[in-house]
Amino acid sequence: MKQIMLITDGCSNVGESPVMAAALAKQEGIIVNVVGIIDYGTIGELGSLEISEIAKAGGGMSRLSGTQKLAQTMQMMTRKTVVQTIQHAVNKELRQILGNSSFEDLPPDQRSQVVEVMDELSETSPLEIALLIDASASMKPKLAAVEEAIRDMMLSLGARKGNSRLAVFHFPGPHSGEDAVLDLDWTTDLGTVRSIFQRISMRGATPTGPAILKVMEFFQYGTLKGHESKNWMEETGRGEGMLGDYVV
Amino acid sequence: MTTSSKSALAQGTVVTGRWKGGRYMIQRLLGQGSNGVVYLVKQLDSAKLYALKMGFDTVDIQSEINVLKALQRQSHRRGNAGRDLSYLVEVDDYTLQGREIPFYVMRYVKGDPLRSFLAKRGGLWLSIAGLHLLRQLRQLHENGWVFGDLKPENVLVSPYGEVELIDYGGVSSIGRSVKQFTEWYDRGFWGAGGRTADPSYDWFSFAVVCIHLLAEEPLKRAATQLPQTRSYNDLLAIIRSEAALSPYRGWLERAVAGNFRDTAEACQLWKELVTSPLSRRRPRQKTPRWMLGAFALALTLLGCALYLTLGF
Ligand SMILES: Nc1ncnc2c1ncn2[C@@H]1O[C@H](COP(=O)(O)OP(=O)(O)OP(=O)(O)O)[C@@H](O)[C@H]1O
Ligand SMILES: [Mg+2]
Repeated sequence: MKQIMLITDGCSNVGESPVMAAALAKQEGIIVNVVGIIDYGTIGELGSLEISEIAKAGGGMSRLSGTQKLAQTMQMMTRKTVVQTIQHAVNKELRQILGNSSFEDLPPDQRSQVVEVMDELSETSPLEIALLIDASASMKPKLAAVEEAIRDMMLSLGARKGNSRLAVFHFPGPHSGEDAVLDLDWTTDLGTVRSIFQRISMRGATPTGPAILKVMEFFQYGTLKGHESKNWMEETGRGEGMLGDYVV
Repeated sequence: MTTSSKSALAQGTVVTGRWKGGRYMIQRLLGQGSNGVVYLVKQLDSAKLYALKMGFDTVDIQSEINVLKALQRQSHRRGNAGRDLSYLVEVDDYTLQGREIPFYVMRYVKGDPLRSFLAKRGGLWLSIAGLHLLRQLRQLHENGWVFGDLKPENVLVSPYGEVELIDYGGVSSIGRSVKQFTEWYDRGFWGAGGRTADPSYDWFSFAVVCIHLLAEEPLKRAATQLPQTRSYNDLLAIIRSEAALSPYRGWLERAVAGNFRDTAEACQLWKELVTSPLSRRRPRQKTPRWMLGAFALALTLLGCALYLTLGF
């Protein structure tokens, strides 16, 4: 199962529409969830509208949260998304067997058995979560809390029976045209990671859409440099080194 | 998604089960949480009172029901070693405005949540209620379960300190991940360990519940500091310094460190602690030297008085 969790506190303002990007992600089997952070002022009507639109298009859910409740919110959303993804799959199967009914229409005893299977799957299926953090200037005072929430999330993921890994990105990058920066490559344990966000230079722009597209690429190719340019990066030997800098 | 059905049903509404046809009349709202709404209901055929929980989410409530069913099967097999058989009464759906709401009916637990119980009875009663609670946890653990979301609201206490756990939504089988927890009582929150369900997860929560009930202010201060500096040493510091916790000190230290062989041992040690007259509840303060002197003097005087009275 693949999920992107976007954490932002405002509206996107450059590049492709994030709603469209999320719709694409969903097509690729990646669910997009969004948390809107609301400390120090509100996220604005436009911001909250965009957040819920992104989540809807991405097949996920959106929540507004203060930094205090961030860890809890992220944990809840991840868990619910896993359950819902499985529920969708189960309902699809059931529809094949039973015609147009979902498991909610089953009598309680059969439902009980189906949910037992669903619980088992939720606990054991492999899970990949890419966290995409808005690092525009307004987010600066919130990054410490975001980092704590990420650590907390890894703790919950680590307790699952199924293989779970996490990668962290922020956007935008320091140079224009750099839509997302990898802070932490796939990991199953944050124990040794001292600090996740090191090289953040805050810029005003919020290219949410392009950043989502970048992360999709990462899911597919395991690198941010894209499929085509990968060879070139390896040739020049800079690809690995650059990523290495971000991973402590 | 979870917004519908949150408005409470009016008193007198009759809830009829879609599958089994059981009829329950709403008496009043008992409480509401993140998973559902709980009503006090009267079963119309028997005129008996029950608690009825309507779920917000079909999967969540069904996993909760599955746990209750599994516990019931276990207690059946073991001759009532687990949860008592009458707890889960019925499972069904209620059709409201064209939507199906899953619900289950359970025994109505009379009693106060732990905090109000102690407010009424006094903090000393934690020793009794705590023992009952540990015994409930022990049963769960011995059957292969971990309660998970242990907090004062999920513990109902009868007037004489007997305890019932409610809300099985956070129960996980041992070795799985804890699926529902509350920050303060979660050992992950304090950097004291992972979220894999094992008995020590519940011991930790139990310890924080005690701290919360007897030393709320310092706990609050420790919990609201920056997460980077929060650690389980803060809990140890509270345990070691708060007078109100002193009767339980040794036990609590072991609980937050996960230092019991099993829950049976945790029960045993708690019991010894609360029944040994020396450590009797009241925060034991070191008796000042002058008082010892005064006490000795009083004893001598008493001796003299007795001597005189008895007329040797
Ligand atoms: N069997 C019962 N007898 C009496 N009261 C009950 C019973 N079950 C639940 N309640 C009351 O209803 C409240 C909510 O119930 P419960 O904790 O099961 O809901 P929840 O949605 O799972 O809550 P949470 O947010 O803690 O997960 C309880 O705090 C309690 O006051
Ligand atoms: Mg509860």
